[in-house]
Formats: sequence, structure tokens, C-alpha cells
Amino acid sequence: MSLEEPEPDVPVVDESLAVEQSPDELAELLGDLAIDREEHLNAPGFVVRPDEVQDALFRLRDEAGFDHCACVTAQEYENRYESIYHLRKFDDPTQEVSVVVPAAKDEPVSRTAEPVFRTADWHEREAYDLVGIDYEGHPDLRRILLPETWQGHPLSLDYDQERPQIVTLREHANPLQADQRDEADADTMYLNIGPHHPATHGVLHVKTVLDGEQVVDVESDIGYLHRCEEQMAQQGTYRYQIMPYPDRWDYASSGLLNEWAYARAAETLADIEVPDYAQIIRTMGAELCRIASHMLAVGTFALDVYGDFTAIFMYAMRDREKVQNILEDLTGQRMMFNYFRLGGVVWDLPEPREEFFEKVRDFVDDLPEALQEYHDLISSNEILQVRTIDTGVLPPEVAKSYGATGPVVRGSGVDYDLRRDDPYGYYSELDWNVAVEDGCDNYSRLLVRLREVEESAKIIEQCVDLLESWPEDDRTIQANVPRTLRPDDDTEVYRAVEAAKGELGIYIRADGTDKPARFKIRSPCFSNLQTLPEMSNGEYIPDMIAALGSLDIVLGEVDR
Amino acid sequence: MTAGGASLASSLAAFAPVVLQSDGGGSGGAGPTLLPETIANLLGLQGVLGDVVGGLIGAFIIANLMLATTAVAGPWAKRKITAAFTDRIAVNRIGPFGLLIIAADAVRLLSKELVVPEGVDRPAWDIAPLILPFSALLGFAVIPFGSGLQLADPETGLVFVFAVSSIASLGLIMMGYASNNKYSLLGGLRAVASNIAYEIPLVVTAASVVLFTGTLQMSGIVEAQTAPLVTIAGVSIPSWFAFVNPFAFVLFILANVAEVGRNPFDIPEAPTEIVAGYQTEYSSVYFVLVYLGEFIHIFLGGAIAATLFLGGPAGPILPGFVWIYLKMWAFFLFTQWARSAVPRLRIDQFLDVGWKGMLVLSFANLVLTAIIVGVLAQ
Repeated sequence: MSLEEPEPDVPVVDESLAVEQSPDELAELLGDLAIDREEHLNAPGFVVRPDEVQDALFRLRDEAGFDHCACVTAQEYENRYESIYHLRKFDDPTQEVSVVVPAAKDEPVSRTAEPVFRTADWHEREAYDLVGIDYEGHPDLRRILLPETWQGHPLSLDYDQERPQIVTLREHANPLQADQRDEADADTMYLNIGPHHPATHGVLHVKTVLDGEQVVDVESDIGYLHRCEEQMAQQGTYRYQIMPYPDRWDYASSGLLNEWAYARAAETLADIEVPDYAQIIRTMGAELCRIASHMLAVGTFALDVYGDFTAIFMYAMRDREKVQNILEDLTGQRMMFNYFRLGGVVWDLPEPREEFFEKVRDFVDDLPEALQEYHDLISSNEILQVRTIDTGVLPPEVAKSYGATGPVVRGSGVDYDLRRDDPYGYYSELDWNVAVEDGCDNYSRLLVRLREVEESAKIIEQCVDLLESWPEDDRTIQANVPRTLRPDDDTEVYRAVEAAKGELGIYIRADGTDKPARFKIRSPCFSNLQTLPEMSNGEYIPDMIAALGSLDIVLGEVDR
Repeated sequence: MTAGGASLASSLAAFAPVVLQSDGGGSGGAGPTLLPETIANLLGLQGVLGDVVGGLIGAFIIANLMLATTAVAGPWAKRKITAAFTDRIAVNRIGPFGLLIIAADAVRLLSKELVVPEGVDRPAWDIAPLILPFSALLGFAVIPFGSGLQLADPETGLVFVFAVSSIASLGLIMMGYASNNKYSLLGGLRAVASNIAYEIPLVVTAASVVLFTGTLQMSGIVEAQTAPLVTIAGVSIPSWFAFVNPFAFVLFILANVAEVGRNPFDIPEAPTEIVAGYQTEYSSVYFVLVYLGEFIHIFLGGAIAATLFLGGPAGPILPGFVWIYLKMWAFFLFTQWARSAVPRLRIDQFLDVGWKGMLVLSFANLVLTAIIVGVLAQ
């Protein structure tokens, strides 16, 4: 695999596809396929018959350029099931369209979208697992988050939470059972990597088939850290009770980035305008989190490749520590911040402000030197280059089809960053660049992260300047938001932010109460992890481990 | 040819007689008295009884010396060294500089439960961890520590030390196979692959030293390095083979690092890939034995390198024993330095380096050395 030349970037798509289509033009394009039309707050929604899903998606992808299937949301209504395919364009993510596919209440069957977007594979498995829609033609429709033996679908309406899950031991597959291969398959060996393994960064179980030292096939088995985050969010009120949960998705110091995903979706839903001052604080906090998160990613990636608790890992932890001290000053917490509020942030910068600014500036000023150290130790190390260049290759078209985002897709040369392309916060007012590398390999993903730390530092510096000169009487940290939010019945929205790992999106459907009727989390790690077989089949075990490290997954976010 | 080169050549010529008298063998009686003999004399024992008692006590002393060294290196020095490289403090709570952690760790490790996994191949699984430290300790039998500390000085000393230290490979594959664990199996196979790939360059490079000395006897090799190489302003630099042939020294150290399985060549263990490989299933006492074995192997590697290339126990002022001890620790420090700083190679790249790089270079070194020694002998 590593010997293949990365495919040339993009040009397959012709120019006309980048042109923005109005909802009416899209309706015209879909023609008879669209049997009804809905309005979601972020995009027009077209209702499509369950057996014509593929036609509609193919048409939107090939003729209108919607090449990014960001998310698949499934939900159950009183009278029907529904799957929503949230599509957008890698070239311009502000262009969105939702394909709404209803399915019958008594027999929820819907055609799979897997042939159109590879990413639908896992998303539909999750929809089947949690909601219970049967995707006809799906290559491998099994439960993904819950155990194989689970009874019922927890997010369906008639699910009885009180009912104990009594499953006899006999029905559980024994992961340790003897691996007896038949004669025909005598050349390969099956190996369980994880759920407890030093390189899986948490409880990931990679079922690996080896031919000698080479990987023939890998299959990720996830769900060990499933904590029903979506359901918990559905039981919380918009205003206060949901905000603490995002901190626990990607818990490796990206808390504020995650909070922003919920804040953005809920603010769009409830039509809340966030004051500029709060937006700047949010931007600064989010970028600090991004640095902390990337430091951890670089450190653990080096750990995976180097093998022991090496200097790089400790240096990365040391620099992350500095960020966490700043975040602690700002939010009062080191990891579980709970700092954002709908309409702003919970409190202003710590007093004395000068001291805080100085601390942040000191950190930002020291960063170039620290980064130089990383470049000396890691990226310019010849052995590391031998290990990472041209291994774990992920061609851009494959990455897009799997819905990979963040540093993973940017390491494959796809220039996609929601901070710039679908602006929110204060990013559009600031001067910074998107880091893109077109090597498509483990090394490019490492470089992207290191360069993003640099860009984040630029953003933080500008935010500090702005905050320092902000007029004292205009420091509004929160908009005026009613104590209880009750968005109108049947309003739907999908909104995403650029989290450390990629596009972190939230879909919310309101039902007129103060709690969401459906709360769906589109986790970047979930989609990114799906690309692992593409990157590692045919490679050596160490390269598979390196590829896994370069994906930078956090299982808390994969499993939610 | 420069003046320096000329003096180098003239001092190299000093070896020529040694080469010529090679078939006579090193005269055993010429070296210092061996340790068993000294002990027997002290106890006033003679004959077979003296040999047996002296040999046993001598072996006891040397083995315990090495075990004590490993005890300091494993639980304490390794942590302190790694901590120094990674901006940490490491053990400092028990005793001065945290030194008593050695006792605490020994108790902790030995009192842990010995988990015997289902389906292990019993005798092999139990014997393997014993083989590892024993093969390394056996090697020390012929190492000349100076100050009269040498257990035996056979004419085939160098061959003996390589032979016994590679018994460890047998232990490794036994561990890998008997553990009934796929990670262990992969680790065991990797260990054998790496030992084969790197043992050849190691021995061939050592052979280039033998070309100079004309003897395989360890004391003879040490003695050959005592002659001054050059004298600069009254300070005479001895003709240690690390100075005579630095290229061979570098090759030898690299092959040695691979042989003892340290970074960047720790492929057989590779904790992040195959979870410590062959030692995955070992706990408690067996784990301690494996660990001991690895560390004694590092020190043995250092001792061989010191004897072959760094004049053995030679050094100014301090007694010989201290010098060779320092040289062994220097090698240990080097392995720990590499561990903290150098990425691990991939298994195929690692074998490429061994078969396509080191092997070729070591043979080139051998041939060149043979030509130079041959020309000088004329």
C-alpha cells in the first residue's frame, strides 16, 4: 500500500460543482426523487423514499458536488422512523443539504448509503444499534457501540430502560477462545490488539489478521467507552444541564472546543447572538485547548513510534501543562471546564487581568522555541522520517469518502477547516492560516498538528491584544438569554465546529419543551477511525500502530 | 604520508610480532594470577580441592558483583538516568537519593503473585527465564576485571564469551514459544531474527581485533592494548583498538546494542507494538529473572566492548577494576541515552540495516584490517 503513489488532489470534480445551488435548483436536480421538502435551520431538507436514497445521494454528490457526508442521524417519531443524511461540500461547507429518509413504523427498512459514502457504513451501524432502523444492502449491519447480545434499541421510543439485560454467558462471544484456523487459512494469524494495549490510547479493540509481520486486515471494535452521552443530553435542559457533557467527549484537553459545538448548535436553534467580547474569549480558550490537545497527540504519536517514555513525550506533557495552567486560571478547571454558556461564557477573565495576559503572552512567546525543539527531536529525525513517510497512506478521495476531517484530512492535502470555511466565533476577524500538507502519510499528519500549534499561537496572541484593548464598559460576557429555553416544535439544526480532531457536529431537534427531542453527536474521531483499514492493510504491525497514533483518536469521543 | 600517520604505522608495526607468534598461543602463566588461584592460596588449599573451592568462591564473588550492579542499574540508575533525560526527578522518597528503592522494589517484585497462564509449555516456560541471566553471567567468567579479578583465562576466551552469551537466544525463543501467547511468539521470533542478523557483524568485527592481537585469550587482548599508540607532549595514548580502529569500534557498539536488544533496536520487545514480546506472560520472580538477564547482558556487552576496544581494565591512577567497571557503566549509560532519544526502527528496516548494512561493513572492515595487518607484518 505504501508503495502506491498518492492520487492527485481533487481535480476530478469539475468547476461547475463548486458553484452554489439555491434550494430550488437542488429541488429541480432531485426532481421526482424528492417527495417533500423540509426546512432545517442550517440547510434545506429533501424527503426521499427509502428505496431511492442511493439515487438521490449519487445525484447530489456527482451533479451538485456534495462530497462530504458529515453525519447520519436516525430518530424515531410517533408515526415513523427517519434517517437524515447531512451533506456538505469539502470546498465550501456552508453549502449544506439534508436528505431526509422516512421509514415505516412497523418495519423500519431503509436503503443503505454505503455505496455512495463509505462513511455511512459505521454511521448506519450506529443508527441500527441505537435507534433500530434496518439498512437494506448494508455490507455488515451489526451493532457497533453496544454488545452483540444487547436487547432492544436504546434510543427508540418504546425502549424500556428498567428492563434488565439478562444475557446468558453462552451467548457472549469469548474473545479469548482458541483461534483455530482451518487448513485453507493456515498462513494467517488472528491477533487481538486491545482493548487493553499500550498503543490503542484507551479501550479500542482492533481485530487484526496477520500474515507474518504484515497486516492483512484490521477491524476496529469500538463501544467499550459508550456512556450514553446522546441520551443523557436528551434528558438535560438546554440552558444549563447539557453544557457539562461535551467536556467528557474528547476529554484529552479539548473541553472548550467540544463545548463550543453544543453552544453553536443551541445558539443557532434558539437564535442567540453572542457578544463580540465573549466570542474573543471563546476563541482564545478554544485555541488554547487545541494546543493542549495537539501536544498530547504529538507526544503520544512519538511514544508509539519511539517505543518508550521518551523525552518527547515528557516535553509534550510539560508544554501541555503550561496550557492547562492558563486554562485553569481562565475557567477554574483543568480538564472538565464547563466554561461556556449559551450566549457567552460563564465569567470574565481572571483578575488581575494584566497578570493573566502576561502569562498567556509568556507562553505564546516561548512556543516557537519549544516547537523548534520538537522539530529537532521529531520531524527532522531521520529514523522517524524513515518510519513515517509513505506509511499509513490515505489518499484524499478516500479520506473524503470516509468523512475524515481535521488534521487527518488536511494531512491528505484537502484544505478543509471549518474555522475558516464556515466561520464562527471571532476567527474571520483574525489573521491566521490553515495548515495543509499533501503527503497523505503519517508524517504529514504529524506536521499538520505541529503547524497548527503555531497558527493557534498566532490566534491567541491576537485575541490577547484585542482583549487587552477592549473598552472596559463594553465587556459583555453573556447575551441576555431566557432562563428556560423552549425552541419551537420541530425545529431541526445541524451545526459543527472545528474541534482538535476535526468536524465536531451536533444535530438537535426541538419538540417545544426545554429538552431536546433528539441530540446527535457527530464525532470526528468516529469517522477518522473508520479509515484505519485503508491506511494499514498490507503494512507492517508497527506502521499500523503508527497510523492509529497519527489518527489521534480519543475513545471517549468515538464511543460517546 | 603525514608525520602522524607515520608514527601510527610504526606503532601498528609493533603488533606484527604478536601476529607472527600466534600459533604458540598466549602463554597462560604470563598473565596475572587468576582469582580462584588467589583464593585457594589464601585458604591454604591445594590440588583439586583448591581448584573447586577457589572456583566456587570466585564465581560466587563475580556473580554477586554483577547481580548487585544490576540491582543498582535496574530499579534505580535506569530511572534516574531516564528522568534526567526527560526533565523529571524519579525515585527520591526512600533513602538517600532514593537508593533504598532497590530494596523496596526487590521485595515488591518478589512478593507478587506468579501468574502461570493456562496452556504454557511447562518445563520450557520455567527454564527459559533461568537461561537468560545464566548465559550472561557465564560470559563474565572470562572477562579480565583487572586487579586480579578474573575467573578463567582460556585460550579461546573470546569465542567462549560470544558462545555463552548467545545461549540467551535459546532462552528467548523458549519464552516466546512456551508462553502460549501470540505477542510472545512474535517477540520470540523477532528476537531470533535480530540475534542472527546482528551476531554475525558482532563476531566478525571482533575478529578484526583478533587479527591485531593474534590471540583469542582475553588477557592477551588486553595486553596487546598496553603499548603506547602515540605520545603527545609526554602524555602517551595507549593503543586501545577504539583508537587504532575507531570504525570497528562504532560497528561493534551498534551491533552490541542490537544484540542486547536496546533502543533503537528493541524490536523484540517493542512495548507499543507487541507489548514486551516474549516477556508478556512473565510475572513476579520470573519477571525479575528476565529483567536481570537483560541488564546483565547489557553489562556483559559493555565488558566485552571494554576488553576488546578500550583496553579492558587499563586506565590511569584508579585501580583496574574501577576502570573496567566505569567502562561498563558508560555503555549502560549509552543504551539509556539511546532509549530516551532515538526512535525504534521497523522490523524490516531493522533487518535491512543488519543484513545489508552492518554485515557488509563488518566484512569490509575485516578484509581491510587483514590487509593492513598483513602488509605491516612483511
